[in-house]
Amino acid sequence: MANIPSNLKYTKEHEWAALNDGVVTVGITDFAQSSLGDIVFVELPSIGEEISKDSTFGVVESIKSASDLYSPVTGEVVEINEALTDSPDMLNNSPYDSWMVKIKITDTSEFENLLSDQDYAPLCEE
Amino acid sequence: MYKTSLHDEHLALGAKMAEFAGFDMPIQYSGVKNEVLAVRNNVGVFDVSHMGEFFVTGNDAVKFVDYIMTNDFANAEIGKAVYSPLCRDDGTVIDDLIAYKLEAEKVLICVNASNIEKDWKWISAKTNGFSIELENHSDDYSLIAVQGPKTEEILTKLGLTSVTGASYYSAYEDKLNGHNLILARTGYTGEDGFEIFGGHDSIKTIWKTLLDLGVTPCGLASRDVLRLEVCYPLYGHELNDEITPLDAALKWTTKMNKESFIAKEALASYEPRFQLVKLSLDKGIPREGYEVLDSENNIIGKVTSGTMSVVLEKGICLALVEKSKVPQNKSFRIQIRKNIIEANFHTKPFISGGHK
Repeated sequence: MANIPSNLKYTKEHEWAALNDGVVTVGITDFAQSSLGDIVFVELPSIGEEISKDSTFGVVESIKSASDLYSPVTGEVVEINEALTDSPDMLNNSPYDSWMVKIKITDTSEFENLLSDQDYAPLCEE
Repeated sequence: MYKTSLHDEHLALGAKMAEFAGFDMPIQYSGVKNEVLAVRNNVGVFDVSHMGEFFVTGNDAVKFVDYIMTNDFANAEIGKAVYSPLCRDDGTVIDDLIAYKLEAEKVLICVNASNIEKDWKWISAKTNGFSIELENHSDDYSLIAVQGPKTEEILTKLGLTSVTGASYYSAYEDKLNGHNLILARTGYTGEDGFEIFGGHDSIKTIWKTLLDLGVTPCGLASRDVLRLEVCYPLYGHELNDEITPLDAALKWTTKMNKESFIAKEALASYEPRFQLVKLSLDKGIPREGYEVLDSENNIIGKVTSGTMSVVLEKGICLALVEKSKVPQNKSFRIQIRKNIIEANFHTKPFISGGHK
C-alpha cells in the first residue's frame, strides 16, 4: 500500500503539495516513485520562473522512462531542491522529505482545491 | 491478450506486467537496476516465450534458410546458430532472427514476437522449388534465456551437464528428466548464457528450479537496457520495414559472396541512407524519438533507442543519422526538451559484455 500522509494535498498526476506562509512545497508521492522504479534523473525549473497550474515544471526519469511533472498551483519558483540533481534516488527512498520545488502561490484557493488524502487514495489503486 | 506458460509465475512474483507484441509480459520484478546487475555479475533468467519458433526440415532445409537470410548459413557447422536479418527483394528488413542448425536437415528459426505473422507469411511464400517442410511451432514452445557469468554453473547444477564445453553460438538438442529441450549458447545481453527452448511444462519446471537456486528473474525492461549497453539492434527501433541492413550497421551480416539469396541484387547496388551511431551524454538521458543535431544545430537524425546505462550511470543511445549529414568531426548533439546537449561519439559498444 502506498503511503499517503493526511497533512498534505495531492494532484491526480501524483504530486504532493504543502502550504506554508504563502509558499507551496511540491514533490512526488510514494505511489509515483514506486510506479517509476529506480529514479535516475530529475530536471527542475530555474528560480524566478513563473509557472502556471497544470503546466509542466520539470521531468523525473527512471532508467526506462521520462515523466513530466505538473505544477499543482500558479506562482513563482522561489527555491529548488538541488540535492536531487546529484541524488535522484532520494525520491525513491523518502518521497515526502524529497521536495522538488517551492512555489510562491498567486492564489491560495488553488491550493485549497487540491485533492485531500482521502480523495487521492483511490487514484493509487492498481 | 496472449499469456506465456509462465504468466502465473510472474504474477505470483509480483512482476509489473505490460502488453508487448500482444502478450502480457513481465516488465520488471525487483527493479531494473538490480536485474541488470544480476545479469552482468551473476545470473538472471528471462521469460521470452513470446518469441516465434519455425522449424525447417528436409533435404533443402539449410539451402532454403541460407536463401532467405542475408548472412551465411550454408557454411555454418551443424550445431551452430547464425544471426541474420530477413530481407525483402528490395533489401528492406522484415525482421532479424537467429537460425539454429540442429541437424543437416533440421533448422530452428527464432523470430521476434511482434513479427511472427509477417515473417511466416513471407517465409512460407518462398518455399517453391525447395524440398522442405516448414512448420510454425510458436504456440508449442516456451523459451527462457538464462544469462550472466554464472549461467554455466547454474545449468550444470540443474543437471544440464552438456553446457560445459559448448561454444558461443552453439545449438543442440538435449534432454532433462526425459523432456526434450533445445539449448543454444546465445542471448541478448552481451553476457555468457543459454537460451532454452522446450515444452511449456518442462520450461515451467526449469524456471521454478532456477529461481529456487537463486537465479534473479528479469523482465523486458532490464533486457532492453542490457542489449542497448552492448549495442544490439531491436526490430522496430534500429531496424524497420523502411531501411536495409546496410543502414543499421549490419553490413557484417550481408554476405555478398553467397551465390544467391533474397535481396542480393538490391543490396549490391544499395547506397546506405543512414548510419547507426552510438552516443552517450554526460548529463541527461536520450530517449527514442529525440532529435540528433550537428554542431550547427541542424537536425540530422533521430534516437532509435535510449536509456540510462546501469553500468556506466550515463545516458546512452543508438541513433539513425542521415549518412550524408554525418559530421566529419563526429560532433553530435541531442535535443532534450528545451536543451541541446553535446553527445559523446562511441566507435565501440558502450560496454563489451562477457560472452564466450
